[in-house]
Amino acid sequence: MGGDRGTTHDAPPAPRTAGGLLRRALRRRARHLGVGYPLLVAWQLSETLVPVVIGLVVDQAVDGGTPADLVWTLGVLVAVFVVLANGYRYGARSIVRGIEAERHALRLEVASHVLHPRGARTDRLAGETLSIATSDAQLVPSVMDQLGYAVASLVAVVAAAVYVLSVDLTLGLLVLLGVPGVLVVIQSLAPLVARRSRRQQESTAAASGIAADLLAGLRPLKGIGGEDVALARYRRVSRRAGEDTVAVARAWGHLAGLTTALSGCLLAVVAVVAGTRALDGDISLGELVALLGLTQFLAEPLRGLGDLSAQFAASRASAGRIAAFLSTPRVLPDGTSRPSRTPPPLVVEDVVAGALRGLSLRAAPGEVLALCTDDPAVSDALVAVLSGDVAPTSGRVLLDDVALDDLTIDARREQLLVCGHHVAAIAGTVRSVVDPRGGSSDDRVREALLDASALDLVDRHPDGLERVVQDTGSSLSGGQRQRLALARALATSRPVLVLQDPTSAVDAVTEQAVARGLRKARHGSTTVVVTSSPALLEQSDRVLLVVDGRVVADGRHATLLGDPTYRELVAR
Amino acid sequence: MSASDLLPVAGPRGTASVAWRLLRSRRLDLAATIATYVLGGLVGIVPVLMIGRIVDAVRVGGDRSEVVVPSLVMASAGVLAGVFATLSSAALARTVAPALAELREDVLDRALHLDSARLERAGVGDVLGRLGDDVRRLTESLDEAVPLLLQSVTAIAFTVGGLFSLDWRLGLAGVAAAPCYVLAMRWYLPRSAPFYREERVAEGARAEALVTGVRDAGTVRALGVEDLARERVERRSADAMGVTLGVFHLFTRLGARMNASECVGLVIVLATGYALVEADAATVGEATAAALFFHRLFNPIGAVLYVFDAVQASGAALARLAGVVLLPSGRATTGEPGPEPTLELRGVRHAYEADRAVLAPLDLTLRPGDHVAVVGTSGAGKTTLGGIAAGTIVPSSGTVRLGGLDVVAAPGPVLRRHVVLVSQEVHVFAGTLRDNLLLARAEATDEELWTALDATGSRPWARRLPDGLETRVGELGHPLSPAQVQQLALTRVLLRDPAVVVLDEATAEAGTSGARELERAAGAVLAGRTALVVAHRLTQARAADRVLVMDAGDVVEDGTHEQLVRAGGRYASLWAAWSDAGDADVRQA
Repeated sequence: MGGDRGTTHDAPPAPRTAGGLLRRALRRRARHLGVGYPLLVAWQLSETLVPVVIGLVVDQAVDGGTPADLVWTLGVLVAVFVVLANGYRYGARSIVRGIEAERHALRLEVASHVLHPRGARTDRLAGETLSIATSDAQLVPSVMDQLGYAVASLVAVVAAAVYVLSVDLTLGLLVLLGVPGVLVVIQSLAPLVARRSRRQQESTAAASGIAADLLAGLRPLKGIGGEDVALARYRRVSRRAGEDTVAVARAWGHLAGLTTALSGCLLAVVAVVAGTRALDGDISLGELVALLGLTQFLAEPLRGLGDLSAQFAASRASAGRIAAFLSTPRVLPDGTSRPSRTPPPLVVEDVVAGALRGLSLRAAPGEVLALCTDDPAVSDALVAVLSGDVAPTSGRVLLDDVALDDLTIDARREQLLVCGHHVAAIAGTVRSVVDPRGGSSDDRVREALLDASALDLVDRHPDGLERVVQDTGSSLSGGQRQRLALARALATSRPVLVLQDPTSAVDAVTEQAVARGLRKARHGSTTVVVTSSPALLEQSDRVLLVVDGRVVADGRHATLLGDPTYRELVAR
Repeated sequence: MSASDLLPVAGPRGTASVAWRLLRSRRLDLAATIATYVLGGLVGIVPVLMIGRIVDAVRVGGDRSEVVVPSLVMASAGVLAGVFATLSSAALARTVAPALAELREDVLDRALHLDSARLERAGVGDVLGRLGDDVRRLTESLDEAVPLLLQSVTAIAFTVGGLFSLDWRLGLAGVAAAPCYVLAMRWYLPRSAPFYREERVAEGARAEALVTGVRDAGTVRALGVEDLARERVERRSADAMGVTLGVFHLFTRLGARMNASECVGLVIVLATGYALVEADAATVGEATAAALFFHRLFNPIGAVLYVFDAVQASGAALARLAGVVLLPSGRATTGEPGPEPTLELRGVRHAYEADRAVLAPLDLTLRPGDHVAVVGTSGAGKTTLGGIAAGTIVPSSGTVRLGGLDVVAAPGPVLRRHVVLVSQEVHVFAGTLRDNLLLARAEATDEELWTALDATGSRPWARRLPDGLETRVGELGHPLSPAQVQQLALTRVLLRDPAVVVLDEATAEAGTSGARELERAAGAVLAGRTALVVAHRLTQARAADRVLVMDAGDVVEDGTHEQLVRAGGRYASLWAAWSDAGDADVRQA
């Protein structure tokens, strides 16, 4: 299974820098933003117009106008509100749709990177990856929001300045220079906010990493009664994250305080100048009202603009983390060749890798080959090399006459399945575990279960094949999980199958049945079993004895029993 | 997993009680927060009053000082407002951030102390989602909502007061729009609440899909089904996105209703001002100030309504956290085992799923120093029996006592001084080797650690680690072989030094070649203790004082190795199968 799907998820590579990731977000949501930003600008312009229109009403109607004047000026006010309300409603919706689509896309990108057919060496705790896929993916697209409000606020400030300029040159210049001046001063604090945000995000991610690790080891932890010591450890990290959060808030507080104070002072200066002008009769009362109303209103977009660069820094930091995560290397290479025969022989030539010190073997098509070793590290190293997790220092692994690394990823997974000792991904129903794609008949699934001596899982259960199993659940014992995983491996019918200690949690009677079932299921295919279980060794066509990372003896189990080293290894 | 398996969500009262408990211990910071925000709001009203003064001064043609003085007052008010903004932000963080850290810790605390089966049914992602997404959501909305609420309520109170101080009719005009706001909220709140609850659940499910996808990536990849795992993440993420968009859609409709209310209010105030000025009942300056006052209300009123929204959103998050914190610990009564305690299981029966007993009612007594092995076919109930004897599984019925200690009811910290379980699952905790060992006894010295490592045969490989006890192990750390991991687990037992040890197939994960090494380590750990050993390696059974053979949840044979082999029953055939493939001479040696 799995061959024809290999290419569908090779999306164009993600940008490698934070900036690239942010730019791509804006680029690929251009449609949403193209609708949203103009509407947002219309909204913010209307908001700016409200005090101006209040000035108009005062000037034209309240200050000695007729009822007709009141009606038309209020009509203008209502019109402004219609634009304002709809501008925000539809503008914000469009932008949020873009943002959420981008968040969704980033979450999938992070998940797909880990779940790529060629794998990824991310060097991250599962909890940290979760934090990248949620917190960071949440923050990055916020840049669209920030940009939208920045544009809208800038337009509002410029519009206000234009209005003020049209009323009075001095006042206009005051607003035009004062607003950017305030912004520049505020920016001096932005790096502080950014630095503290980064630290806070890191310590928060570390806390969730520890929590995830503790929960992953829940049973061993509870068995030894280590909950409280572990919690003390978590509390320390969580406290630090809490302190970092306070530090960030303080920095934000400085920023908010400075913005408030400066915009208050700007308002006072405008008030003094405008009031004097009005006293001198240079500007009308309505214009004075509008001017002061506007300056007061400007505090709002100003505060927004002041916060922007720090918010942007947070988004950028998240983008950097995601970009770094997405550019971690793949585990498996993707070659261009396929083996010509099925099943192909599996050939290991002089492989040196960790505990393997020049291991050679050849599993012929149709053969069940067992490997018996004195050192668990040898068995782990062999599994790591065959599954591609570790590249050998020297030597080669071949399927037929093609080096493993030269195989296309599809060919590799069509031909070869390497099942390490650790059992994972047991969740769903018995049927969905054995047959994840749901293409097999009941009989086929039951046959795989039978071969793995795992029929008892469904036969003694009212739901049969639909029995629900859980990943870490207590409803299955270790032996049951092991046999279920074996059934799943057998059901794939891959031409070459490598199993590591497939019966270590299974009792001796069942073990013999498993050995016979394995032999039957793998008839005509290539199978390698790393084990020292006599039941499995006896059912193998050939046994290789591996000592010190090298094959030292080769023969049938019964023959090898004459070898004292071998006898010592398989004795229980 | 079904939704009913997820951990509970607290009701409004439970949520409030948890919130209150967290805030109570931070009353001073809370008071400082409220005080600084109120003062900030008070100062914030000053500029509008001053604008009104300037407008009137201009209208009546006053002198310059009548413009300059109010402006100076405005400037000082601005500076003061800035100071209060800084102070209040810090005070709020001092109140909220440690409270949330404590809450997050309490959630993990309670989660770790839950029965493993309960937690595993809910899924690790459920807990992680609460610790991550929910705490983040809560932090965000509290950071925004609390200042907004305090600032806004203050601003609204003072602004409305300002309106009335201008003229009572202008004041009435100002509050005339209030029903519009109320209607908008009454339309919105009942519609959004279910969305927010749904959003929390959807994000929890998303976290679960992500975490399992990442954790099992290796296996999933080998099987070539990563597209299925990805689809699962995609589905869950799309679900969560759908809910988020739905609630935002609703929110923008509220926004439109709010804008309409603002427009109505402003029109009423301006028209009233016009009428009053026409009737010479108010000055143009007063009418102007009234309009500007009302304009100033837009943001605070919008903010208060936004706060309602945030309270719903964060309330949903807090309720999920409180739901875990409020779970009954269920373990309170205790007792002391006394010297030389006997482990006694009486009428113990267990079913994970109702009506499907995996353990028939059974009795078992282990006297001090007894070594009892449990064998049987895979799935016979051996692990369940071990878990119940060690108190990690609460039996559906029956009692378990260790001397005077009620094993079922005893809280973990008390129980684990006396009974330790080495589970079939192994885990190396992310941290140093020392961290891993100190889980068993936090105060152990390095010398004690090395002595224990020595006893389990771990000293040679531990010595070879790059940084000794300081070597980082676990996920991302220095890799350990399965046998080393189990040796580590056994070393922890020595450090704990309990009277009773339950070993659940402690040699299984090591694979066959590491198993005998582990048997020796296990022997060292069990010496002088009462032991219940779930064994599939029958050498362990042969070494025990007594062997129980289990089948389909029942003990079908009970005796010494020799007795059972002679009896020619089930154990005899197991033993035969076990011995079959090897060479008898070697084994007997």
